[in-house]
Amino acid sequence: MRRWVLAIAILSAASAAALFLGAEAQAVQQQGHQTERISGSAGDVLEDNPVGRLKVYVYDLPSKYNKKLLKKDPRCLNHMFAAEIFMHRFLLSSAVRTFNPEEADWFYTPVYTTCDLTPSGLPLPFKSPRMMRSAIELIATNWPYWNRSEGADHFFVTPHDFGACFHYQEEKAIGRGILPLLQRATLVQTFGQKNHVCLKDGSITIPPFAPPQKMQAHLIPADTPRSIFVYFRGLFYDTSNDPEGGYYARGARASVWENFKNNPLFDISTDHPPTYYEDMQRSVFCLCPLGWAPWSPRLVEAVVFGCIPVIIADDIVLPFADAIPWEEIGVFVAEEDVPKLDSILTSIPTDVILRKQRLLANPSMKQAMLFPQPAQAGDAFHQILNGLARKLPHGDNVFLKPGERVLNWTAGPPGDLKPW
Amino acid sequence: MGSSTDHGGAGGRGKKQAGGSQLWKKALLHSSLCFVMGFFTGFAPSSVSDWTSAAVAAGRVGSSHVVRALPTAAAAGGSGAVNRSLLAHGAAGGLLGLGDPASPRPLLVVVTTTESTPAASGERAAALTRMAHTLRLVGPPLLWVVVEAAPEVPATARLLRATGLMYRHLTYKDNFTAADAAAGKERHHQRNVALGHIEHHRLAGVVLFAGLGDVFDLGFFDQLREISAFGAWPVATMWRDERKVVVRGPACSASAVTGWFSQDFSSNVNGTAPASASTARPSEVDVHGFAFNSSVLWDPERWGRYPTSEPDKSQDSMKFVQQVVLEDLSKVKGIPSDCSEVMVWHVDTTAPSSSSSSQPSMHNKRR
Amino acid sequence: MMKSLLPQSQLRRSSAAAARSSSGGGAAGGDGAMADGGGAGPRAPASSTFWFLLHALCCLISLFLGFRFSRLLFFLLFSTTALYHSTTSSSSAAVLRATTTTTTTTTTTTTTTNTFTLSFAAANTPPSGPANRTALEAAGDNKGAASSGNPQSHVVVGRHGIRIRPWPHPDPVEVMRAHRIMERVQEEQRRWYGVKEPRQVLVVTPTYSRAFQALHLTGLLHSLRNVPYPLTWIVVEAGGTTNATASMLARSGLTFVHIPFPDRMPHEWADRHATENRMRLHALRVIRERKMDGVVVFADDSNVHSMELFDEVQKVQWMGAVSVGILAHTGTADQLRLSEEDKQNMPLPVQGPACNSSGHLAGWHTFNSLPFSGKTATVVGEAAPVLPRGLEWAGFVLNSRMLWKEADGKPDWVKDLDAVGENGEEIENPLALLNDPSSVEPLGNCGKKVLLWWLRVEARADSKFPQGWVIEPPLEVVVPAKRTPWPETTTELPSELLDDKQEQEDRRLSRANKSSRPRGTTKRKADPQGQEN
Repeated sequence: MRRWVLAIAILSAASAAALFLGAEAQAVQQQGHQTERISGSAGDVLEDNPVGRLKVYVYDLPSKYNKKLLKKDPRCLNHMFAAEIFMHRFLLSSAVRTFNPEEADWFYTPVYTTCDLTPSGLPLPFKSPRMMRSAIELIATNWPYWNRSEGADHFFVTPHDFGACFHYQEEKAIGRGILPLLQRATLVQTFGQKNHVCLKDGSITIPPFAPPQKMQAHLIPADTPRSIFVYFRGLFYDTSNDPEGGYYARGARASVWENFKNNPLFDISTDHPPTYYEDMQRSVFCLCPLGWAPWSPRLVEAVVFGCIPVIIADDIVLPFADAIPWEEIGVFVAEEDVPKLDSILTSIPTDVILRKQRLLANPSMKQAMLFPQPAQAGDAFHQILNGLARKLPHGDNVFLKPGERVLNWTAGPPGDLKPW
Repeated sequence: MGSSTDHGGAGGRGKKQAGGSQLWKKALLHSSLCFVMGFFTGFAPSSVSDWTSAAVAAGRVGSSHVVRALPTAAAAGGSGAVNRSLLAHGAAGGLLGLGDPASPRPLLVVVTTTESTPAASGERAAALTRMAHTLRLVGPPLLWVVVEAAPEVPATARLLRATGLMYRHLTYKDNFTAADAAAGKERHHQRNVALGHIEHHRLAGVVLFAGLGDVFDLGFFDQLREISAFGAWPVATMWRDERKVVVRGPACSASAVTGWFSQDFSSNVNGTAPASASTARPSEVDVHGFAFNSSVLWDPERWGRYPTSEPDKSQDSMKFVQQVVLEDLSKVKGIPSDCSEVMVWHVDTTAPSSSSSSQPSMHNKRR
Repeated sequence: MMKSLLPQSQLRRSSAAAARSSSGGGAAGGDGAMADGGGAGPRAPASSTFWFLLHALCCLISLFLGFRFSRLLFFLLFSTTALYHSTTSSSSAAVLRATTTTTTTTTTTTTTTNTFTLSFAAANTPPSGPANRTALEAAGDNKGAASSGNPQSHVVVGRHGIRIRPWPHPDPVEVMRAHRIMERVQEEQRRWYGVKEPRQVLVVTPTYSRAFQALHLTGLLHSLRNVPYPLTWIVVEAGGTTNATASMLARSGLTFVHIPFPDRMPHEWADRHATENRMRLHALRVIRERKMDGVVVFADDSNVHSMELFDEVQKVQWMGAVSVGILAHTGTADQLRLSEEDKQNMPLPVQGPACNSSGHLAGWHTFNSLPFSGKTATVVGEAAPVLPRGLEWAGFVLNSRMLWKEADGKPDWVKDLDAVGENGEEIENPLALLNDPSSVEPLGNCGKKVLLWWLRVEARADSKFPQGWVIEPPLEVVVPAKRTPWPETTTELPSELLDDKQEQEDRRLSRANKSSRPRGTTKRKADPQGQEN
């Protein structure tokens, strides 16, 4: 009981502080009138400070679940799923970490499920289900907290293409569904698509990892005139995995190329130029079409570089959508409307475009998209914690009655049941 | 797959037997013939998959091989009629916006090639700056294509970014020796890289090769947009520290080009007429003196006009364009309409025959 | 590829018909149309056309199926190794997909149309011309079919059509609209980040009529027209004002003051330098007399200025200095006998202010003329590098108020302009206007940024060029139209051309009489006219 009182006290103090800080930030922003204040559906929460609003217990797992994997292949630090590693590092030294599991609001299991690269560097989650299962078995046997809630007060970072469905191909991922053992846990994942088997209610959608230092190094002066109307670099066809076309990006990227390759306003190509980041900073619109999954690192890059993201991914659930007003900063184009992209973009009133740019100039939003080392206030780590904090206090259904069991440990494909 | 085809066929057969007529046998025969035909059509190379796989595999910038796959396949596919209509469309676009400044204008693609000698980097920056200032004054839509060797890119990229112009910065990794560069091979390659980009993207518009350091009268660009196929104009070529000033270009009557002239103004001190009409005769037209509608690059005729023994010409876009402009003068429009005014100045930075600066130099290697 | 020309509707009908015919074989014997058609085949002309159509459609379908089949085979045989999974699995998946496509063809009409169009489009992606593509309205169908794909989301999982629109593009109107948007965006950027209360820029340019004047002055003019601040161009012309210069200025659209300077431009570089200095001083006196307010920039016509320069000069309080890139070592290759290695190692030489750690002027980077000693040009047009002498005026900017007789807050370390150069002595650079040169403000990130390039490219002083750059046609037509220009065989200059001289002259005169040239020049001779001194 005392814990609750304490928590409420801290919470109110924190929110007062946040309010104060927020007001201050607003005052600062009014001076430089190029930015606008950001508020999402959850209110002005981007600048919230999660410290004091939740406590996280980090399970101490054998290093074969995390550090050894990374040692085996340091490339894991650079791919777009690296959030799972940096989140672990962040929590280890975070102020919200508690060493007393009894007072923890959330439990975190540090498993690097995507750090299993092919020789060519592709993260393929074939072993991930078994690895995850093994880790859960471990914590369920060594600590009492899993069985208490069967994972409902646990969160897992599963940043792969289709999150905890653990397959890179959508059809297979759907066939698999979310790993049965994770059905009660909160998932922190990059994948987000409405009404999708692989997106559980209550999941926290995060931005993919984009290297913050590298992006910082390529920043150019903000007054560089924006001289590209539409910019895109990346694949249009994935001929090796989708020789017939139509599967990759649901045909949307191919359609972009076929319709707009001859449009001088569309600076689109498969090349990856050394000036990629700089070019985004001098573009008005940056295409963010889906690839195999609805999300891509371009979402992060566009926001960080102040380029209006043109999101082409039907039913996408965007990172921190409750804190970031994606509708206001970006342009959403239905996949079927890709052939009309030029008309859609040129018919947006200039004032609307300028407002989007002002919103994008807001540093707090850029911060929320990045996983910097060391962590900084308001960054993606903090937004994840904010998201977890907003789920508190836990509902009645989180903790099971003694002896009550919901999870079926033998569910899922037989291959997943093998030991890892 | 095969069985499913039979499936459809079987359905038809069932019907046919009910009718019991010859018609059905014929139909079946035709169907299977068509099937076989389709079967073999399927083996024809498909350009889309070609270029993507090539692009994925190569991943190189401005690789002309990647680019070439497209038009070849288009020609092979027999889509000549369609391309012809495209050409016509481009021509109509070229006439659009004449006189009315408010109406949409056709695209101008200005191609600038660069020196890659290290000593020239300062001059390149200066010349690009000046060119950018000129192009900024030209009404949109304008696309500036700057071609540069990969090592030079970062500094130039910074410069180009600041201009606010819509540009494409193309790079290539091919190495050229100083001798190659001096012989204009690198420049030629750069131009082909630019044309490759235009072709690959099917950028329909008027293409102009603007040399580094060339100066244009602004009125020139308005005239340029009126080109439907080809345009040519007199260029004043000057040499630093030389006496020589040469004007070369088309001779026109009523905007129609009737021939070519070359006139050296410096060799005659008091003359009422230029004494030396230069007899310099390059086998190709001067790149700085003409512009063309990019649709000629994907004109199906291009692929039909060279016998297979001469694949070189059709592969080398630059050569092709230079060739074509010489072949049909009737399509060449004079700029300005009577070709009487110099609107383009060009400084030749190649060393002329320094010993005899007053004599017209025979080579006109342009930069 | 002929399929692609087939209209959509027909295709749909074809597939629908195929579906009907196949299903009709078994259960749907009572299907009105089919039964009727079957019986009436040979008799009525209407039904014969129907049969013919059916025939044609069947043919087309088999053509298409054949095509698909061979494509599949093609992929099976030649598909590259997959990134994610092995070749065999990818191709077997492809076979699987294809089978589903064809099997749906035989089931229901609606799904048939859907899948059929989709695969049709995909098969059609190869040809590259946009015109021979068929647009797909598959979107609606997609939504309809969604239920079969994934019951939870309305986004279908699986193969999609690649939508290619049939209408021509890019739409030129939209292109213009996009450019307007970008213009607004850039305008707004300038508003956000640019100078809030811009001062006028007073550009001082000494010039004179010569072969390279049109080239240089046009270039400078274009630069100045891009300056986003109020600007007055003070052009001082040596040897008096000329029509050529005046018409260029008049057409520039800039606010300008065209001042004649009595002396002619000398041929020697040293003299030319001194004359230019006097011309600049002359311009400063005009500024003083007219009490022109703003920042004075010394823009020589052969120099190249970055736009950043004009942003930087807005910051100057009294006198500022910027770094100038010297393009001197670019003389024609064989004249400058610098070793290749020398050239490689030589960065762009820079003349400009040097800062101490606190950002104040500490000294000057000067141009190292050592490699050029004894190799520089003395006369305009001499084939050798032209070097700056001392600190160039081009590297300085100043507040015009320091030239005024009286101005608020004019510092005491500024000399009165009347006391400078009174007796005709040369003012080497604007530092002579100051009692205390250490007060000069270094601009452009403490001189670290090169904001303009200094170069002197000139033709030989005796070179001739057409007056006003108008050439009088017809000139010698070297090559008549019907022949290939520049024939390979060497021909002598046609002799009749030379005889034609007089005739041409006559024609030229008559032409000049009746035509009104935009340049506004009156009847004139077409002689190439050099700079006579």
